[in-house]
Amino acid sequence: MITVEKLENLGCNTAEGLERCLNDESFYLSLVPGAFEKKRYEELEGLIKKADLKAAFDEAHALKGVLSNLAITPLFDCISEITERLRAGDQGDYTALLSRMWEVYSEFEKIL
Amino acid sequence: MNEFLKDVIKLKRRILVVDDEEINRRMLSKILSSDYEVLTAEDGDRALDIINSERDLLSLILLDLIMPGKDGYELLNIIQGDPQLRKIPVIVLTSEESAEVQSLKKGAADFIPKPYNLPDVILARIEKTIQLYETINIVKATQFDSLTGLYNKEYFMEYASVMDQFYRDREMDAVALNVNRFHVLNEIHGRNTGDAILRMIGRALKEYVYEHEGIACRYDADGFFLYLPHEDDICSALSEKITSLETGDLNNIFNRIRYGIYPKANREYAIHRRFDCALFACNSIKGDFEKRVSYYDSTMHEKEAYSERLLADMETGLKERQFRVYYQPKYYIQGEEPALSSAEALVRWIHPVLGMISPAKFIPVFEDNGLVSKLDRYVWKEAARQVGEWKMRYGFTIPVSVNVSRVDLMEADFVEEITSIMTDAGITASEYLLEVTESAYTEDSDRIIEVVNRLRSLGLKIEMDDFGTGYSSLNMLSSLPIDVLKLDMGFIRNIENSEKDLKMVELIMDIAGYLNLRVVAEGVETEEQYKLLKKTGVHLIQGYYFSKPLPAEEMEDVLKRGFLKK
Repeated sequence: MITVEKLENLGCNTAEGLERCLNDESFYLSLVPGAFEKKRYEELEGLIKKADLKAAFDEAHALKGVLSNLAITPLFDCISEITERLRAGDQGDYTALLSRMWEVYSEFEKIL
Repeated sequence: MNEFLKDVIKLKRRILVVDDEEINRRMLSKILSSDYEVLTAEDGDRALDIINSERDLLSLILLDLIMPGKDGYELLNIIQGDPQLRKIPVIVLTSEESAEVQSLKKGAADFIPKPYNLPDVILARIEKTIQLYETINIVKATQFDSLTGLYNKEYFMEYASVMDQFYRDREMDAVALNVNRFHVLNEIHGRNTGDAILRMIGRALKEYVYEHEGIACRYDADGFFLYLPHEDDICSALSEKITSLETGDLNNIFNRIRYGIYPKANREYAIHRRFDCALFACNSIKGDFEKRVSYYDSTMHEKEAYSERLLADMETGLKERQFRVYYQPKYYIQGEEPALSSAEALVRWIHPVLGMISPAKFIPVFEDNGLVSKLDRYVWKEAARQVGEWKMRYGFTIPVSVNVSRVDLMEADFVEEITSIMTDAGITASEYLLEVTESAYTEDSDRIIEVVNRLRSLGLKIEMDDFGTGYSSLNMLSSLPIDVLKLDMGFIRNIENSEKDLKMVELIMDIAGYLNLRVVAEGVETEEQYKLLKKTGVHLIQGYYFSKPLPAEEMEDVLKRGFLKK
C-alpha cells in the first residue's frame, strides 16, 4: 500500500505535496495513483516515437503539472526534461530519457 | 459587498475550476471548498456551458490554459468578448511564465503558477480578485445615469476631484446647464419625448466633453454639470454642439437651455461649492427668456454670500422678532372724502447688522429655499394678533389683509390653520382678508378654487393680488371665487401719460362691474393718478400718495384718527 514514507524514500517532497492538500494525508495519497496512469506514459512514448512533437508536448506538459503539484519529484524531473526538449522542438534521440522515465516509473509502480 | 454576501445573504461565492487534469481539479476543490462553492469542468466546452448557465452567480473562474479541444486562451477570448461575462474575473493556472503575461493581456485578472502556491496564498489572491471585481462591477453599475449614460452626480464629483489632483495647474470651468420649465415640455409632449430630449442632450454633452478632455453628469431631472479645461468662449461652442441636435418639431427646446458658467473656477473651493456657484449663475437667469448665459463672478459671489447670510439669520430673526409687520392703509375713494377702509400687512426685516431689509431682497431667497411658508405664518399670526389687540383696546378696528401663496393654499390643513389663527387672535372673518396672487390659480386651479370656496364660506374675503400679470382668461375670471381685484401697479405707473393704460383700467373696471367685484389700485403715488383712478370708478387705493407702509404704532394713530391725513 502506498504511504507517505514510501514516497519520501523514493525522493518525493511529500511535505510540499501534502501542504497543497491542506495536510490531509489520506486525500493526498488518494490523488497520487492518478499521476501514474500507465497508458499516459505509454502514449507519451508513442507520440515521441511517431515524432508528433506537438501532441507529445501537450501530454508531457500535462503530466508535468500533475507531478509538480503532488511533488513526485524524481518523475517530475524526468518529465520536465522531456517537456523542455519537446517545447524546443528537439527532434533528437529521446531513448535515454524515456528509459530513465520508465526506470523511475517502475520504482513507483512497486509501491502503488 | 464582501460583508454583504457574508453577513446578509450568508452565501458562499461560486468558483468554477476549469482544468483537464482531475488531480488538479480535486486539489483546488480541496483548497477552496471551505470558503467557496466549487464547480468543476474538465474541458472548455463544458466550462462554457456552466459559465453561461451560472453567469450571474459565478464569482470567479480558475482556468487552465492548455487543454485539449477549446483551450484556456479560446475560452478567455469568449469571456472577454461578452460584456456580461467580462464581469467575471478569470485567474489562469499556468506553469509558463510567458503565458502569464499573455493571459493578463487577454484580460485575465491574475494567474496562479503551477505547481500551486501554498493554499493560503491561493486563497488570498482569489479573495482579493473577487473583492476587486465586485467593487469594479458595483462602480460600473452605479456610476452612470441610466437615462443619459453620463456620470451620476456623486461619481462626477469624485472624478472631478481626481482630475484636480492630476492636473494641478490646469484652469478648469465648472458649467451647469438646465432646461427652463422642462416639466411643461413633459406635460405637453409626454414623458417619452422629454426623456428622448434629455438623452440627446446627454449624447451631445458626452461628445463635447470627450473632445475637450472633460467630464459631464446629469445632476437632476433636467440639469447637467460639466467640468472641463477652460475655454474663453465655451458657451458658444457648447451651444453650437447642442443646437446641432435633430429634435424635429421641438427645436425651440434650445431656447429653453440656460447655461451657468463659473470660468476658471477657484480651486480653493471644494468641488461641490464650485458647482453650486455655476448652478447659482444658471438659476439666476431661470425664467428669463432673453438671457441664456450667466457667468459666476465677484458680484454674484457677493449676492450669493448675502443670500446665504439671510438664510442663516432667518431663524434667529424669527425668534428675536426682527421681522416686523408693517401696515399700508387702503382708502375707499368713491365717497365725498377718502375713508380708511383696510390695510395690507407687509413684512420688513430689521436686521441687527444689515439694517432694514426690503422684502424684495429676502422673500425670493426664502422662496427659493422653501422657507417662505414659515415667514408667512409668522406674518399671519402677527397681523391677526395686532387686529385683535386694536379691537380689544379701542372697540373698533379695520380689516387687515395678509398674503397667501399657492403653496400655502395647497397645504392640507390650510383652512383649519387660518381659522385657528383668527380664533386665537379673537377676530372675525370680516376682519381678516386674504390676498392670493393671480398666478396661484394657473395650475391645479380646481384644487385652489375648492380651498378658496371653503375660506369664503367661512366669511373671509379674497383679494386677487397682482391682477393683470397672470394671464387669466375672462372666462376663467368669471368662475374664480374672489371678491376683490387688486390691479397690478404696472397699470398705474404710467396712467397719467399713457392713454392705453388708462383705457385698460377702464376696461378692467367694466369687467369688475359686470362680475360685481370691487377693485383696489396699488402703487398709487401721485394726486393725478388718484384723480384719474377715482374717475374710472376704482373703489380703493393703496400707495404712497396716501401712506407708506407703517409700523404698528403709527398705523394705530391712523386708525385712531379714523380719517384721512391729507
